[in-house]
Amino acid sequence: MIARTLAILVGLFIIAPMVVVMVMSFGAGASLAFPPAEFTWASYARYFTDPRWMVPTWNSLVIGVISTAITMAVTTPAAFAFALYGFRGRNLIRLVIMMPLMAPAIVMALAYFFYFGEIGLLNTIAGVAVAHACIAIPLVFLILSAGLKSFDWTLLRASQAAGAGPWTSFRRVCFPVLRPSFLVAALFAFINSFDETVIALFISGRAASTLPRRMFENVRQESDPVVAVVSTLLFLLVALIATVAMMRRR
Amino acid sequence: MTGIRDHAPPLRQMLAPWALLTPVIVFLLVTFVVPLLQVVRLSFGEQGFSVAGYAAFFSDPFHLRVLGRTLATAAIVTVLCLVLGYPIAYVVARHGGGLGRSLLLIVTMSFWTSFLVRTFAWLVILGNQGPIAAGFRALGLAPPQLLFTTFASTIGMVHILLPFMIMALYSVMLRIDANLVRAAEVLGGSPLQAFARVYLPLSFPGVINGAMMVFIICLGFYVTPELLGGPKDQMIARLIGAQIEQLLDWQEAATMAVVLLGVTLALYAIYDYLFGLDRLWNG
Repeated sequence: MIARTLAILVGLFIIAPMVVVMVMSFGAGASLAFPPAEFTWASYARYFTDPRWMVPTWNSLVIGVISTAITMAVTTPAAFAFALYGFRGRNLIRLVIMMPLMAPAIVMALAYFFYFGEIGLLNTIAGVAVAHACIAIPLVFLILSAGLKSFDWTLLRASQAAGAGPWTSFRRVCFPVLRPSFLVAALFAFINSFDETVIALFISGRAASTLPRRMFENVRQESDPVVAVVSTLLFLLVALIATVAMMRRR
Repeated sequence: MTGIRDHAPPLRQMLAPWALLTPVIVFLLVTFVVPLLQVVRLSFGEQGFSVAGYAAFFSDPFHLRVLGRTLATAAIVTVLCLVLGYPIAYVVARHGGGLGRSLLLIVTMSFWTSFLVRTFAWLVILGNQGPIAAGFRALGLAPPQLLFTTFASTIGMVHILLPFMIMALYSVMLRIDANLVRAAEVLGGSPLQAFARVYLPLSFPGVINGAMMVFIICLGFYVTPELLGGPKDQMIARLIGAQIEQLLDWQEAATMAVVLLGVTLALYAIYDYLFGLDRLWNG
């Protein structure tokens, strides 16, 4: 009984801020007053029409798609190598693959700031996409490895016995069977990039500003209620995905 | 793929994994290892080699205070997350049902909502036009300064990291056999004793994993302390960020980054030695 009461209270603590933000998104004035003086859709209209919000949103989508594609392309073969073969240096390579998960984001922000400055990728979409692709590798590797653990390798053997080459086997046998793992991994990589704030804050600049960077600057300087709109939309998207995922699991 | 053929030539079999690993190795080398090594290089001076940066860092009381504060804040946030997260994880894992499912949904949604969105929410709640200040005014009291304080920054970080702790606890608690607690009660233990002597120790791996993750993420936290905390709550990530933004001292920035990275990796190494990192990632 005590545990339940505590759990409910903490549950309220977790959800309350999101409710506050949703209510805020209907405010109009350039202040963060809660509850808002009036309820309007004005801030929603502003978000969808103001290029200062739409351009970063578009940048974030583009960066998310490119970085997800890069991560999937370089990590999938590696996950197969680990599932299929024993080889020397396995643990070392695994550690290197997991390293981007261990390095704090602010350290990577500094590293990319120098490095991309030297090679001319600072403040570019390509630079942010490459950085995001790199930090998503460990996540995608873990998800794909978990999926491959339950993969029935005799299927692969059968397809090869039937004369399929490695690429055909992958495309026609492995990919369809492992589709859920690939989807989840790609979704994680995309969300990871779309949400990433710290690295993008320092390396995306004005030119390639991502949505989180725009939100951060906005919160720090002008506190425009459009931030509440973006937050609400992001939260509803998450709620939708979480609900669908839970319904499918049941 | 040829490797699974029993008659594959040994040399091909030896090379096959490396062919598959080459893309990830090359990519990580170019986009991760090289940039990171440059930071390490820079921490030893822009030209030549000197440990002056480190000597300056470790002899400057301001930097040492910030480092100490970073560690202390991470410890406090970790303890608070544990205290608040344990009951939720316990209820979700043991009771399930409608309440358990709703709580799990709430935690999952919070987990997936970006750090920035949740930080912004606290900015509104604690702001001087927010609901708490309104409550004080309704009572005829002057609202206290909540925003840009240690309190604001701590509550924001706890809120953001709580789902990590709950997930870590929950995944371990799910595997605890409920019959063990029942057995303890049948054998004459009170519910509290059964919990303290049986359930709590069995949930310990989750406590370690959760604490480890929360502590490490907290050490490098930038966004939340920057937006919610005051100037007196500077943590090390914020000092690094300030150096990048104001283009001050590259060597100093690199030195602080290496110190932060060093502390983080040392914690991972200790965890690996005691429990093995696989448990953290696959748990």
